[in-house]
Amino acid sequence: MDSYTILKFFWAAILGILFMGLGIMVGMDMGVGTLLRFVGRNDGERRTALNIIGPHWDGNQVWFILGGGAIFAAFPTLYATSFSVFYVVMILLLFSMILRPVAFEYRSKVESSRWRASWDWAFLISGAFPMFVYGAAFGNVMEGVGYHFSWTGQYYQDESFLSYLLNPFAILCGLMSVALSVYQGGAMLMLRAEEPIYGRAQRYAVWGGWTAAVLFALGGVWISRMSGYVLVSGGASGMAPDPIRGQHVARVAGGWLAHFSAHPALWIVPLGGLACMIVGPLVLRANRPALGWWIGAGSWIATIKTVGIAMFPFLMPSSTTPDQSLTIWNSCASAYGLTCMLVLAAIFVPIILSYTSWCYYVMRGKVRTADIVNDTHSY
Amino acid sequence: MRLPTLLGLALTLVVALLFAVFVGDQGPWYFAWVIGTVMIVLISGAGAVLMDAQNEQNPSEEV
Amino acid sequence: MEPISSEVVDLSRLQFAVTALYHFMFVPLTLGLTFMLAAMETVYVVTGRKIYKDMAQFWGKLFGINFALGVATGITMEFEFGTNWSMYSRFFGDMFGTPLAIEGLMAFFMESTFVGLMFFGWDRLSKPAHLAVTYLVALGSNLSALWILVANASMNVPQGTHFDPETMRMQFDSIVQVIFNPDAQAKFVHTSVAGYVCASMLVMGISAFYILRGRHKAFAARSFRMAALFGIISTVAVITLGDVLGRLVYEHQPTKLAAMEGVWRTTKPPYEPWLAFAIPDDAKQENDLEIGIPFVLTPLVTHSFTAPITGMKELEDQAGPRISSGIAALTALKAWRASGSASDLAAFNAHKADMGYGFLAARHAPGQDVTAIPAGQLDTVVNETKPDILPNVFVTFWAFRIMVFLSLWFFAVFAFGSYVSLKNRLERNPLLLKLCLWSIPLPILATEFGWITAEAGRQPWTVFDLLPTYLSASTHSVGYMLFSLAGFALIYSIFIAAELYLMFKFARLGPEEHGAHARHDDPGHEDGLVVALGE
Repeated sequence: MDSYTILKFFWAAILGILFMGLGIMVGMDMGVGTLLRFVGRNDGERRTALNIIGPHWDGNQVWFILGGGAIFAAFPTLYATSFSVFYVVMILLLFSMILRPVAFEYRSKVESSRWRASWDWAFLISGAFPMFVYGAAFGNVMEGVGYHFSWTGQYYQDESFLSYLLNPFAILCGLMSVALSVYQGGAMLMLRAEEPIYGRAQRYAVWGGWTAAVLFALGGVWISRMSGYVLVSGGASGMAPDPIRGQHVARVAGGWLAHFSAHPALWIVPLGGLACMIVGPLVLRANRPALGWWIGAGSWIATIKTVGIAMFPFLMPSSTTPDQSLTIWNSCASAYGLTCMLVLAAIFVPIILSYTSWCYYVMRGKVRTADIVNDTHSY
Repeated sequence: MRLPTLLGLALTLVVALLFAVFVGDQGPWYFAWVIGTVMIVLISGAGAVLMDAQNEQNPSEEV
Repeated sequence: MEPISSEVVDLSRLQFAVTALYHFMFVPLTLGLTFMLAAMETVYVVTGRKIYKDMAQFWGKLFGINFALGVATGITMEFEFGTNWSMYSRFFGDMFGTPLAIEGLMAFFMESTFVGLMFFGWDRLSKPAHLAVTYLVALGSNLSALWILVANASMNVPQGTHFDPETMRMQFDSIVQVIFNPDAQAKFVHTSVAGYVCASMLVMGISAFYILRGRHKAFAARSFRMAALFGIISTVAVITLGDVLGRLVYEHQPTKLAAMEGVWRTTKPPYEPWLAFAIPDDAKQENDLEIGIPFVLTPLVTHSFTAPITGMKELEDQAGPRISSGIAALTALKAWRASGSASDLAAFNAHKADMGYGFLAARHAPGQDVTAIPAGQLDTVVNETKPDILPNVFVTFWAFRIMVFLSLWFFAVFAFGSYVSLKNRLERNPLLLKLCLWSIPLPILATEFGWITAEAGRQPWTVFDLLPTYLSASTHSVGYMLFSLAGFALIYSIFIAAELYLMFKFARLGPEEHGAHARHDDPGHEDGLVVALGE
């Protein structure tokens, strides 16, 4: 293998890790947002729930921004194409994402109950909708999306946004993502809140975990019957990153399971994920929220890994012009760009991890409703 | 307590020197920004301290 | 090539301009307020006087209201390169994506993590530790601006990349050239310091309001003085860097410079006047009602008394041969993509430098395909393309002038304000206080016009001389664009209403009612750094 191939593969792995981090950390905050109106019956309780993720939500949301930036830098063609292909959905996602920071800052700054109730709805929408879109995007990409390039590399859209939104498989994936985020958010609330929030969060998290398990199994059956994409010729791993020409791709029924049938040991990943989703709620019921939180993280990791294994090396297949499907090999940045980003990431990721952990350490401990209501700095 | 502080100061000094040598050479405006910002912060802080001193010498209510 | 609709391009530009300008209403305050909070807290830690902690906390509250919107609207910008500028992002993304990713890695992460500690950590951190956190927030927000401006500078003065026919995009060659691009350096300092000016004016204006009302006098007088000193140095710096930027535009972007100064015909140094007023007419290609100051333009822009400034008409004529050469480049490139023959590649390489001008001709070519222009029509296409190389002169000229005139006003206000504050005679100058109050929005306005100058002046290119705006946009339907524009209009209006409501509410309430003194009854000394060191 040449060094360019290794670089490409490495960045695809980083992309996967970012998707996992996004699901776990941002998903957790979004889950708390989704649950806010249900676990908090009065203003004090809701503020407690908000302040549990208060010091960290912003840092977590940066994972989301960083994910976008990393896709742009490491896979510029994927970024340019996927964001445009899903235009309407992306704009809706953006609207709900930008509501959240504002909701956090502004909600508790005014005493009116009407003001606060409106922002609580904003939390529900901006928590549940982005997680739904996150999952649905994975669903759509697995089915293939409609686009092609002209000879200059200008991208053209061949499919309307409605077919992305009203797509049963994508809806299934979206619901599963929401369920996992509810689980993760519930586990976090259990970790840092006391009764009555604790008990309510527990109930919702348990159901979130089991719902995700059912949907995950259902999705697996569905994929076995769906047509996947397979490289017929060209598209070598060391190719120049030119998405316009250079490969021949075919649609094959059950194509996404090809890697699993070739290497049956890989089945351990989806099965492990399913096990996490079933066992996690039991652990929460046994009042072990910390362990439950990590098992939830395990569910996300296994889910994203399963998708990655199934689609490798595809990132976004084109249903209308399969030969111009985006793969890890043809949509990435230059060797120089990937190396440059690698060096910078090697310097900065450890720094980020150390100060983020320090921040968690400083703000550790249970959050109590009485403290929140009396503290003028709180959300 | 003393040793880590001294080591930290020494490290900061080394980093600052390397920064000054490299960035001052390659990007003079970046260097100017660092120096300028420190200067702005210090001068505005000094202005406030001067006001405290003025008040202590001449404790009038006027501002 | 399927034709591109100009309506969609125009709507995409409108959306990007509106969301970028909206985002930039909040950014400069963040850049400046963070360092001001750091300055206040530094005085608190050094002297141990509680009043400076109250200052850091009160202005910190206003910063927080503003910061939330800056973060939220910044996410929009990152999305839009992908959602609306697909061709641009694919063509330039190999290099352009890197500074944006570094911004996330190095700056935005730092800023966002520590901002939580800055608000919540007052009782959990030691004084020096909290001060360090405040400085990290300030450094993070300004580093964030650094990387964005590095990215922006590479659109205006592309460096460290080359076009690769194999991948049909700009390949990244050198990050050092990208970071130390002279345009990036000057732009970063100019923008960051402009943020200091915005923040100084906000703090000074609100403090002036308290002094006018006779409220929180000790608090307001100290805030006023710190802001005035902060502002006067920053204004001098912002004007100096503006001059540096002008020189760079003169060297690298002649069309933008000629439009900024309204120069239609090449100047005759040294008596060429600097136009204080004129109404540039883009259609007639001349200025109406010129009022100029002679002998100023040449030394101001070129820093010499002999160097001429090329006029826009001459620039148009010079572009003619480059357009034909660019068309030849694209024709050879397309042939090479199909044939792979060495002679096609050689033909492309001969005309490679003008490829961008070939793209520029696309909208005037039959079927928007420059590779299939019938021989007889080539001259028509070239002549129709020539005027396209100029930006909108009226907008560029006036946006630049409004920014310049406003900066002179800030200099006057800060200079007078610093002097009167140092003499402790603020209460005797109610007119000055009122002017400070009314000037609060003006620096933000000036930064907006600065961006309009820079980006309207860059037209018709997204990547200067390489990729035209017309070809950069995603090929959406008009319906998609109307949907997103309506959504932005609705959400952004709600945001600004909520922001202004809260800003006014907390500014009116002032520091005491906001609870700082309720919890710290004794405004006097704590053990400050000075006391601690003295022991």
